Formats: sequence, structure tokens, C-alpha cells
Amino acid sequence: MIEISGVSQVFQTSGRQSHLALSNISLTIQDGAFVSILGPSGCGKSTLLYIVGGFVAPSQGTTRVKGKAITGPGPDRGPVFQEFALFPWKSVLGNVMYGPRQQGVSSAEAEAQSRQLIEMVGLKGFEHFYPKELSGGMKQRVALARTLAYHPAVLLMDEPFGALDAHTRTRLQNDLLNIWERDRKTVLFVTHSVEEAVFLSDKVVVMTRSPGRIKRIIDIDLPRPRRRAELLLDPHYQKYVVDIEGMIDDTSEDELHP
Amino acid sequence: MMSWRTLVSRLAPLLACLGLLGIWQIGALILDTDSFPTAIDALRAVPSILTDKESLINILASLRRMAIGFGVGVGLSIPLGLMMGRSRAVASFFNPLLMITYPVPKAALMPIIMLWLGVGDLAKTLVIFLGVSLPVVFHSFQGARAVEEKMLWSGAAMGLSAGQRMLRIVLPSALPEILIGCRTGLVLALITMITSEMIARQSGAGNILFNALDMGQYDTVFAMIIIVGAMGIGLDAAFEQLRKRLVRWSEPRFDLPLSFS
Ligand SMILES: Nc1ncnc2c1ncn2[C@@H]1O[C@H](COP(=O)(O)OP(=O)(O)O)[C@@H](O)[C@H]1O
Ligand SMILES: [Mg+2]
Repeated sequence: MIEISGVSQVFQTSGRQSHLALSNISLTIQDGAFVSILGPSGCGKSTLLYIVGGFVAPSQGTTRVKGKAITGPGPDRGPVFQEFALFPWKSVLGNVMYGPRQQGVSSAEAEAQSRQLIEMVGLKGFEHFYPKELSGGMKQRVALARTLAYHPAVLLMDEPFGALDAHTRTRLQNDLLNIWERDRKTVLFVTHSVEEAVFLSDKVVVMTRSPGRIKRIIDIDLPRPRRRAELLLDPHYQKYVVDIEGMIDDTSEDELHP
Repeated sequence: MMSWRTLVSRLAPLLACLGLLGIWQIGALILDTDSFPTAIDALRAVPSILTDKESLINILASLRRMAIGFGVGVGLSIPLGLMMGRSRAVASFFNPLLMITYPVPKAALMPIIMLWLGVGDLAKTLVIFLGVSLPVVFHSFQGARAVEEKMLWSGAAMGLSAGQRMLRIVLPSALPEILIGCRTGLVLALITMITSEMIARQSGAGNILFNALDMGQYDTVFAMIIIVGAMGIGLDAAFEQLRKRLVRWSEPRFDLPLSFS
């Protein structure tokens, strides 16, 4: 379980001003849940994810994972960044093996596991390619495999498919769902796509425009396993998408009367 | 099969050398003065220098000082530059020192260093060390500063400690930039090596060169210039080979080789 309570984040900007990026965020995420954070650009979605990851310390409030206060990054929470952040001097295999090797898994075993993961994310045959030789979608697959390789209980994904073309994006969404349905990790997934959030999640957290507050939390009551083709035709799915889109649009009015 | 195009690009450096020697030869024949021997005369003097035991000892002594100065310079400058690039405190501590020493020609410090350390190996090696250090520190600093933060975060999430991140993330990702600094440093090492020997005439390749100049042995002077030049080109080409191998992962696909490698 991830507990975020009363978290606020103030940034010092270059003009000696302070900028409130997150305001009093409280959120509880159950183990094994797929939770999406949705909100306009600049509302603090990434910042919230970084705080849970332990990469950024909040100005106020506390965060806990499995009851333990978060004081820094750890292998229990695996990030997948929008920028991929692969190690460019390592091959695909080298990148994926990096985490397990660091965790003390033997070289042979780490390699075997990593090859399996690389196959799972659809990159068999590319083991010895360097990141610069891969397309954006392939890099994101490697980034996902690299994080899955050290078995974090929680996946923290920051607009992982944001930079990809529609086709690649759809395929990766399906792949992610398959992986998740198999081993039910807790996923905190940042996106600005309403369809993506509804398609993937158990819960969608809608945030307000800056300073980021939680506006609504919507339970997505759609059956699993979810198949894209069926879901797109499902009126319940369509209603969720339309409703949530509406919430994002009138965010600014709502801010006046919280 | 080597294509015509690659053949030309392989041969280009050789053709450039031959062209240069040809122009030299013609120029010297036209000018016809003692102080400007022809290329052929100068080339002819090369083997006699390279077979003379005394000269070889001198040249090897030069190379040894250069290797030590370069090695120690690189060995200290890379960690310093990387730490400066990752820590504001370290950077602001060392920055003034580097800003002051940066524009000073290192050979200009030679008289003071000679005064303190004598005219032996130590003084000359120190000057080489100083010459090598600045570009390597500077490029290591730039490289470390440019490391993508999310890459360090990814490492931290895998459980890498701050020290491990420095060694296993900052160092490799800054390596292309570091090696650019080292390449400059290597050429500067050769330059400061010769200059130091010009100032402290006691041994070395520079010593042979300037003694020959004093004695009016112009063939030897020009032969030494060829030898030192060839050493520079050879070292640079060898270093480029090594560099390319180390950072193959970062090389752009098409690049014009700016070396003889
Ligand atoms: N390191 C930082 N320093 C100053 N301001 C920052 C920093 N990181 C983020 N911000 C600001 O905080 C706000 C939220 O940023 P972010 O979390 O990236 O939003 P989102 O991911 O929702 O687009 C933005 O206004 C951004 O400019
Ligand atoms: Mg963001």
C-alpha cells in the first residue's frame, strides 16, 4: 500500500520566487492496483511520481510504502521515465541486466531472465543493439523491461507512451496490460490521455490545473481482462471517457469553489 | 572489396603528406639557403638521428616524461572534473583556481618551477602535467554536468550508492566528452614537452633540436621537426583508435575523420 498524506511541493524558481507545484495531496493506493494520474500539463503529475519514487523530497507531508516512510529511491519502486533514461553505453541486454546484477543475481541467471524479458517486450533479436540504434517505441520497451527486471513491487510510470505514435502506443498499452494482468504489480501511471487512463486503470485520479490538487478520484468499474476492441464499443467505457474529459475541461471553475 | 571512395579517404592523409613534402622540396630548391634544407635532405637526416644512441636516449627520456605527465594529469583531472560537475561545492572551490591558471601559458611557469625544482625530470614533468590537466578537467566537468538526471535516478532505484553512481553512471556517460579532453591534453603534452626542453636544455628531443639550431645543423633541426611531428601524428592517431573503440556506442553514424587514424 502506498500512502500519500498532505503532500505539498514548493519550488524555488530562478527569479527568487516560489512556485506551489502540489498542494495538499492525499491518496492511498492499494497493493496490486493500477492507478492513473490525469491532469493538464504542469499540474505536478511528474513531481508527485518523483516524490513517491523518493527522487524528490516533498516540502510538506509524508509518503509511505508498506507502512515505511519513503526517504529515498529503492528497488521496491521502479520508475519508467518519459525520457527513457537508458544507459547509452550498454546494449539492450546490458541495460536490462543492470538491475539484477546490481541486486547480486549471478551473471548467467541475470542474462537468462533478461533475455526472457526482452522477448516478452517484443525485442528478441535486438539484444546487442545500443539505445541510439533503437526507435522511441523500442527504447520505451527496453526501459520497461529494465525496470521489470529487478522486480519492483511498484511501477512508477511517467507518461511512458506520451512521445510515441498512436500505433506503437496502442500496442504498448496492450502489452503493459498483459504484463500487469499476469503479475499484478501496483502501478502508478501518469498520463494526459483520458482514454489511456480509463483503458488501463482501476482508479483514475484527476488533478486540477497548477497548483496541483486532487479534484476527483474515479473508480473504473470495467471487467478484466480488458480487450481494447471490446472496450472501445462498451458504452460504460465511453461514458467514463466523456465524463472524465468534462472534469478536466471545467477544472478552472472548480478551483474557485473547492 | 574496398570501394574507390574508401580507398581515396584512406589514402588522403598520405597524399596530403606527400603534397606538403613536395611543396617544401620545391620551395627549398627555389630559396636555396643554408637555413632551409630541402625535404629530401631533412628526411635523409632522420635515420641517422634514430640510430644514434645518444639521440635515442634523449627522445626516450622525453617520451617517458610525457607519458608520466600525461598519465598523472589524466588520472587526477578526470576525478576532479567529474566531482566538480556533480557537486556545486567542489566546483566553486576549484573554479577560481582553474580560472586563474587557465590563460597562463604553462611554459611561462617553467622558470619559477626550475628555480624550485631544478632543471631535471621533475620540473619538466610538472609542466607537462599542468598542460594536460586543464583541458581534461574542463571536459570531464562538462561531461559530468550534462549527465541526464533521470539516468542517475534509474541507477538509484536499482540500489546504486552515490559512489557507485559516480563510477558506473557519471563516468561512462561523460566518457565521450572526457576523451575529447584527453585528446587535446595529449597534443598539449607533446607541445609542453618540447617547450620545457627548450627552456631547460639538458636532455630530450627539444634539446637535440635547439642544440642543432645553435650549431647551424639545419638538416638535423628539420629532421627533428619531422620526428616530433610524426610522433604527434602517431600518438593522436593511436589515441583516436582507442577513443573510437571506447565510445562506439555514442558515435554519430557519419563523421569525417579528423585524424590520421
Ligand atoms: N525542479 C524544479 N524546479 C522548479 N520548478 C519545477 C521543478 N520541477 C517542476 N517544476 C514546476 O512544477 C510544476 C509541475 O511540474 P511537473 O510535475 O513536471 O508537471 P506535469 O508532469 O504535470 O506536467 C511546473 O509548473 C514546473 O514548472
Ligand atoms: Mg510530467
